[in-house]
Amino acid sequence: MATVDKSTAHSADPSPRAELPGQLDYIQYEHSLEAQYLPAIRALISKDLSEPYSIYVYRYFLYQWGHLCFMALNPTDSSLIGVVICKLERHASHSAPTLRGYIAMLAVAATYRGHGVATALVKMAIDAMAERDADEIVLETEETNTPAMRLYERLGFLRSKKLHRYYLNGNSAYRLVLLLKPVDVDAAADPEPDECLPVLR
Amino acid sequence: MNPDDDAITWGMSEDLMDLNLDHPNPGLHFNSFEEPPPPMISSEGVIAHDITQKFFSAAASLKPGELVKDGYFTLFEAVGSLEVMDPKMDSGCLAPGESLDEDYDVTRPLLPSEVVAIIDQLLCLEMAWHLGYPLSQTLFTSVYIENMLQPSPTTIHDADFIKDHAPDAPRDPMHGALRAYCLGVIKSCYYVNERIKYEHSYEEEDSVTNTYNRSLLENIDLYEIRDEIMEARKTIHDLRHALSDEMADALGFRLEFRTAFLRAIELSELRSDPESLSLPWSQMNGVWQVVGKTRHLGKPVPEAFSTKIQRRLASTMPPRPIVQPSAEETHEHFKRLIADGINVLNVLNYSDSQSLLNFVMTFQAQKPQPLIYIRALLQNFLFHDMVILGRLSIRQVIDDDLSIVVLPNSLLLDPANDEVEAPHNPRYGIAHQMELFRQRAAQSYLDIFRAFCQNRCRVRRTLFHSLQDWETVQIDAEDIDQLLQHQTEEQPLVYPPGSGAPPSHSLPLSSWAYHYKLRLMEWTVQLGFELEIYQPDELAGMYWYLSHLAKTRAQHLDRILFFATHPASTANNHHRGRRQPPLSTSTPTTDASSTSSTPQPQPTATIPPSTPHQTRNKSYLHLATLEATTTHQLADALSLLYTALARLRLITPPPRPYSTDALRYQVRMKPFAPIGLPELPSFDTFSAAVAREGILSVTGLLERAGRAAAAARGGLEVLGRMGEAEAFAVCGGCWERWAEGVKDWTRAAIAVGVAVGAVKRAVVEGRGGGLAVEVPRAGKGYHEWWAVPRVGEKRKEEQV
Repeated sequence: MATVDKSTAHSADPSPRAELPGQLDYIQYEHSLEAQYLPAIRALISKDLSEPYSIYVYRYFLYQWGHLCFMALNPTDSSLIGVVICKLERHASHSAPTLRGYIAMLAVAATYRGHGVATALVKMAIDAMAERDADEIVLETEETNTPAMRLYERLGFLRSKKLHRYYLNGNSAYRLVLLLKPVDVDAAADPEPDECLPVLR
Repeated sequence: MNPDDDAITWGMSEDLMDLNLDHPNPGLHFNSFEEPPPPMISSEGVIAHDITQKFFSAAASLKPGELVKDGYFTLFEAVGSLEVMDPKMDSGCLAPGESLDEDYDVTRPLLPSEVVAIIDQLLCLEMAWHLGYPLSQTLFTSVYIENMLQPSPTTIHDADFIKDHAPDAPRDPMHGALRAYCLGVIKSCYYVNERIKYEHSYEEEDSVTNTYNRSLLENIDLYEIRDEIMEARKTIHDLRHALSDEMADALGFRLEFRTAFLRAIELSELRSDPESLSLPWSQMNGVWQVVGKTRHLGKPVPEAFSTKIQRRLASTMPPRPIVQPSAEETHEHFKRLIADGINVLNVLNYSDSQSLLNFVMTFQAQKPQPLIYIRALLQNFLFHDMVILGRLSIRQVIDDDLSIVVLPNSLLLDPANDEVEAPHNPRYGIAHQMELFRQRAAQSYLDIFRAFCQNRCRVRRTLFHSLQDWETVQIDAEDIDQLLQHQTEEQPLVYPPGSGAPPSHSLPLSSWAYHYKLRLMEWTVQLGFELEIYQPDELAGMYWYLSHLAKTRAQHLDRILFFATHPASTANNHHRGRRQPPLSTSTPTTDASSTSSTPQPQPTATIPPSTPHQTRNKSYLHLATLEATTTHQLADALSLLYTALARLRLITPPPRPYSTDALRYQVRMKPFAPIGLPELPSFDTFSAAVAREGILSVTGLLERAGRAAAAARGGLEVLGRMGEAEAFAVCGGCWERWAEGVKDWTRAAIAVGVAVGAVKRAVVEGRGGGLAVEVPRAGKGYHEWWAVPRVGEKRKEEQV
């Protein structure tokens, strides 16, 4: 069974490219659009997944964080070209809790890749999360998915760790992190190491 | 099962179908099943309430897309949800006309060539499982194995894919051979699985230990299975004429391979003499070659394997494809498994604690990394029953290490201290404090070994956690050091000599801890290069930090050397001190929890002055200082080179509109931020140091880089001449791996020199802008930890 964090679908498949059909419409998802767009969202994301997610997974995100989901639509017929799905929650880590954004899924129709659609969607998602006071944004991407890593790293993400055989297909992943606000180091650090250690300085 | 659950489950199905957006007309499949009878809702002690109607009315008030969950329902659980009747999610969902049962008849007669091919396919699947794929997609796709394990056999006779076989009826020889082989392969998997489960590893990363409620013949005796295999081999041998020599060999060798593997597994539990343990591995090695050469005799039977069987396993997972490496890949993987199986045994030849660590590190750094079973075996050898390598107490290994690194000839490590019963005798206090220290440090120390037995990604992550731990070990050790210096009446010394600094004590235990902490910090940075964590424009900074850490360690080693060798330091020269130890000839009694049952010669007892231990300590400090200095120099050279490339705009940072250099520094250095010593440089200090603002010209940077690389080569030449004792690599195969690492490191150092030269020439000739720089991927360069840029000319079209 795919586990939590394995839900990332950052697609990168070199397919025949087409010109964009003019200026795309970028819109924020809302619940009333479910009937119109959820099947297309699922179809677009499932293409790059070895295991499909149940409709519950999509609703888990969209119902709670629809405001962090953005869609790129074809201006001629309003069909779906790209989508980004995120969540934003308090994360209790080892140190101080942070408000952590998570980019769960990102997909752009293969024929329209290479035009910055994914970047535009991710930027909208980051802006929306930053506006809601996110401290950091994280995601995982497959180690072989160079275009996705380049996309995120161009925006300012750093690889923080590598996750061995993270995906069901046996591939490893990188965790990518974008810190939006400085971390309060004092809150995270050990309270008194300096008092004992200078002896060896 | 709660009867209410049943009612709800079945009551819900239709509603759920209505919510399914992808199947607007799901009734088609659904109606082909008859609704099951209502469940029994009365039993003793249970008061049942039928909530079906309540549930229906509640569900009716929901709009499609509304989410029903409580506050504790996590994404993890959401991802686990399934859609009933979606063939990719619902394990019970059959296509129209599809049957749940296999059509393959396991009783059908088999040709010898078919048995060969089936066994070869089982070998591929077994290897896929060793590589980390689940049994469900590998061995459990074999119809023969499924029939053998279902229903679960309790006797050797039941363990057969032909279930109604009469006990005394003659068995078809080909069925007999395949059955014997299947018994052997399942039993091997049982032992391997148990070993992996017993040791520390990561489920679903390193392996999937799930057996889906199938028993891997754990109740059937190994010797009975071995007898079946022997019997089958004999039968094949007797049929030699009928089968042809070649075919009889092909079958015989495959069975022999299995016997040898079972024997290798069995012996490895003993942790005794490596030579005798390696015999079955060597046998496997020989047989494996001939198995490969007879592969062409096989006639594949693809229908004997099926993904359908997964539906019968205790799993919610719908059938997934068979995972099967090619025969060639399988051949190579087994070759590696066997070679690593032989090599890992050498760890049992303990020489000293540093060679042991060196063994584990070089063994695990191999590419590809040894398989999880071998890594689990290594853990078992190291830690089983808290007896190191089957014969050493944890105390012996830690004391050995303290003696090598900081306390070559010390009263603190004298086992005779344990004999002293008079509390006013300083030795009484020393024994007590040292035991406290061992108890404090033992786990952290052993965790380093354990960490290196994990997969490479986990090594880095685990060492980051250990770092925090060693920070506190060091602090606690300082307290103990201070108590001990009273007991030993150690006189403080001025260090560095003649510096006019206030005199300080040797602080051996915290020095030891600090040394490990620094090594951990270097390793985590270096693993970052190996795992390709850093982007090209981070390399100048990360090599600067590595160089900073290694330099700090070299300085620390100098301090250790000073106190370890200085004649006035009482702690290390107790035999020259005022108190002669009240020596006893009897074996010292030690704390039972930290000692093995086997009495061992105590390496530190009754040591005369100027002992081999002092020589060994000096030799270790020489090696460690050389490694630290060389690391510092080459890292400095690379940092300078990458800074020069940045100034030449040959490596440029991406735009990064959402980030700042300071924020990324926080992300990158987060694990080091809580460390008190060496304190993480502030972002400003770091940036200034990496930018080398004091060096105005690019050629100035490159000249310094060239000098640092040359200095590193000098150190590497000395390292390259070291034998196994000097290199603390005394353990079969360890020195060879270590020396190979030094060679690769040297190649990297040479390549740095070459790259520096190429860039410098181009800059001097004014064609710096025409260069093309590429950072090779880890594994494509000379050394995993040294990312040396490749410098070439830009192609013509790029220059325009």
